[in-house]
Amino acid sequence: METIAIHNPAPVAQADRIKTIDMIRGFALLGILLMNIPGFGINWDSWYNIMHGPHNTKDYYTLTVISSFFEGTMRGLFSMLFGAGMVLFTQNKHELPDGPSVAEYYYRRLLWLVVFGMFNAFILLWFGDILYFYGMCGMILFVFRKTSPKWLIALAIVCMCITMFKSQQGWNESREQRKDYLEAVQAKKDSVKLKPEQQGAITAWENIESWRSRGPDTFWVNRNLRNMRSDYATVFTYWVPMNVDGETNGLYQSWFWDGLTMMFVGMALLGLGFLSNKLSTPTYVMWLLIGYGIGIPIGYLAYKQGQLLSVENFTYYVDRYRMTPDLLYDIRRGFISVGHASLLILIYRSKIVPWLMRALANVGQMAFTNYLMQSIICSWFFYGYGFGFYNKLKFHELYYFVFAVWVFQLIVSSIWLKYFRFGPFEWVWRSLTYWKKQPMKR
Amino acid sequence: MSNQSAGTGNSIAVPVSLNENESRIFSVDVLRGIAILGILLISIWELGGFSVNEQTRLRLLHKGLDYNLFANVLIFFEGKMRGLFALIFGTGMMLYLTRPNQFTMPQTHEYYIRRQWWLIAFGVIAAFVILWPSDLLFHFGVLGILLFPFMRMSRKALLIAAIICTAIYCGKMYWNYADDKKMLRKYKAATLVEDKFKKDSTERHRKDSIANMPVDSIKVRDSIEKKNDTLVRQQKMDKESWERMAKNIKYDSTKANEKSENEAMRSGYGKIWNYLLQRSQQKESVWLYRVGFWEFGSLIFLGMALYGFGFFSSSFSKNKYLLFGVIGIAVGFLLAWWRLELTYAKIPDYEKYINGHAIPPNQFFPIENIVMTFGYASLALWFIRLNILQWLWRGLGAVGRMAFTNYFIQIVFCTCFFYGHGFGYFGRLSQKELYFLVLEIWLVQTVFSVLWLRFYHYGPVEWVWRWLIYGKRFPNKKETA
Repeated sequence: METIAIHNPAPVAQADRIKTIDMIRGFALLGILLMNIPGFGINWDSWYNIMHGPHNTKDYYTLTVISSFFEGTMRGLFSMLFGAGMVLFTQNKHELPDGPSVAEYYYRRLLWLVVFGMFNAFILLWFGDILYFYGMCGMILFVFRKTSPKWLIALAIVCMCITMFKSQQGWNESREQRKDYLEAVQAKKDSVKLKPEQQGAITAWENIESWRSRGPDTFWVNRNLRNMRSDYATVFTYWVPMNVDGETNGLYQSWFWDGLTMMFVGMALLGLGFLSNKLSTPTYVMWLLIGYGIGIPIGYLAYKQGQLLSVENFTYYVDRYRMTPDLLYDIRRGFISVGHASLLILIYRSKIVPWLMRALANVGQMAFTNYLMQSIICSWFFYGYGFGFYNKLKFHELYYFVFAVWVFQLIVSSIWLKYFRFGPFEWVWRSLTYWKKQPMKR
Repeated sequence: MSNQSAGTGNSIAVPVSLNENESRIFSVDVLRGIAILGILLISIWELGGFSVNEQTRLRLLHKGLDYNLFANVLIFFEGKMRGLFALIFGTGMMLYLTRPNQFTMPQTHEYYIRRQWWLIAFGVIAAFVILWPSDLLFHFGVLGILLFPFMRMSRKALLIAAIICTAIYCGKMYWNYADDKKMLRKYKAATLVEDKFKKDSTERHRKDSIANMPVDSIKVRDSIEKKNDTLVRQQKMDKESWERMAKNIKYDSTKANEKSENEAMRSGYGKIWNYLLQRSQQKESVWLYRVGFWEFGSLIFLGMALYGFGFFSSSFSKNKYLLFGVIGIAVGFLLAWWRLELTYAKIPDYEKYINGHAIPPNQFFPIENIVMTFGYASLALWFIRLNILQWLWRGLGAVGRMAFTNYFIQIVFCTCFFYGHGFGYFGRLSQKELYFLVLEIWLVQTVFSVLWLRFYHYGPVEWVWRWLIYGKRFPNKKETA
């Protein structure tokens, strides 16, 4: 038995793929576009106007659902599956006596992922790229691939606490500023002569307040619109500093911990058999209820009493909470992500819509291609060098476009996989990892 | 199969042969020793508070003993010592990954990866606990992981990779300069607009009318002066960003920055921690991405390639080492001297410099760095083969074998000596005194390393490191000889 396996350091055979994992990945991949589409298609500050405007518009309802139910959860689900996928990758490899080790394949694969991420960010010009971050986060997962689920959950909690600590630190700074301001104002009332730093504290806070109440700065909005509606070179130059900032500060300060939290959860869930459809139906039902039951209320409250409040009345927001509502972010998305996964597995088991589940699994099997394809489609549709629809659709209208992309990807993936074994970008990635042209046709 | 179940006790379960003569290359240890001691020549600036402004002052002085000392250290050592460290790191990588008579490959690789992650963890401790912002361990840990997939590349391909990294690093120097140039162009455009408005006659008229206003209408005056603000916001931003940069380059005779830095660094641990936090984080993120990866990457690649060429096991003739050494150091010296002169020309008036020069002063620093480092390595190998000064090489070899420990001793000692939570000598010693201290540290470290290795196999930090990697405490005491 072993001799056969040993001569097969090749990609996973079709039969070995775990259907539910592909399906959940497909779902997450499509879902990610829900969160990414505003980044592609609309100026970020339009959120401000939607939150400040009347609350009975389609835009407002869309934003509420997206922010409280989906925000972060699709990336969370995707990270979970990435973590699980990396473990599966190491398990499915067998080594030749003198050939490359699993570690080598693993790190080659990730280094190429980092390169693809940079390609996505700097060439396809998608500043919200996650491949680079996944590649970097994945580098540490190797060490933990044999760790037990219990410890993986503990690691996830540690990473989550680091994120929480960092956001609380930022929050403390805001509150500190507010405190200094109030003290300075009190001193002024008592007609004590103000020290220069007290004067500074007053101006600093007044600046924040006026910025918050005046709304988006038209200077930056116009600059953004002008650049995004220009030719390729302009958009490229415009994004370079932001891409670099993301891949350095962003990775170091937040994305590393953000990614690792959910990746560890995913590895744990794989170890427990959760993702591979091995648990009983009541267990999945229970996790669906727990996940949504806890996650959705927290999500809604955090949106209403947190995000929305911070835009509507920042001063009150800062005064009201000793701890930042952002602390709930990871807890909420952890629960909702698990809820999503349970729901999908239950639907899969019930066999209500087998064709949809098959189609999702196809999308998931080509997740890498589909992810990059989203960048290609969206940048061409919205940016100036393509059709230039940037900031021309209303917020809720963006989601018609998302729906169209979904249908397209579901159909194309299913057709493609009838004739080929891998998606085109998967094929390139695999060929680069194994440094050998992989068979493509079925 | 049985050798895979670790911890069964017999000799095969000991991952690294305890007989150092078999598994260690003496010359590699010597070079590592030179590097670890040499690093202090540059890092003492930051540790001891020899500020950038003071360096600028010496550059402008351009003569005298202080200047010469500074310039020589700059030419011969800036970047080269950590470069040597990177070179040896690359060689060490290959030694570790291809060492014969070990566990099977997969397990060696597994240990290698763990080793790197623990190195990163030690780097984090150095940066955030010992408070040394310019720590190197973090960077080498990260690069060791990122460059691991290149281990199977041929020595030629590795050499090409080193050249490519150097070229990209040179390119980055140029792109940064091009950004500065663009910034200057925008600044000039903004000032032109401003000048034009100043000359405007109606403008002058309005100013006159303000001057004749009664004092109580200050508010009206303010609002008019606000209207006088002729630049649009973008132009103002352009103007300010250039002015800020030009100010940073110039020598500041008020020494405001130094004063505030000295004050911060002489305060308590908590305050210093806060003060250095951002600098350390930037170093581990932005600096690594923009500079460190290319600078260290090129040298690590070179070290990996040189291992393939048998450079450290003396596979070249003695004269070749001398030739490499002389050429490397000569070329490096010329480039460094040229860089120094150009930097001097840049400080008094950067605008003039940009108008007169197509390239920045540090354009060829990457080449200077890699060539000179290679020259040093060659020359040292030549010396070792001459069979003279044996006691010196043995001493340096001992320092190199305990490089990790010595690195920690250096930074723990220096932070305690200079920072406020210790003796608070930060910014209080002159350049000469700093180098006197460096000599002392070198002496103590060499003697300590030789003595320690007489009784133990590994330095204490190395021992802990191995414990963490292999999950097992190895006996460290030597059998009494």
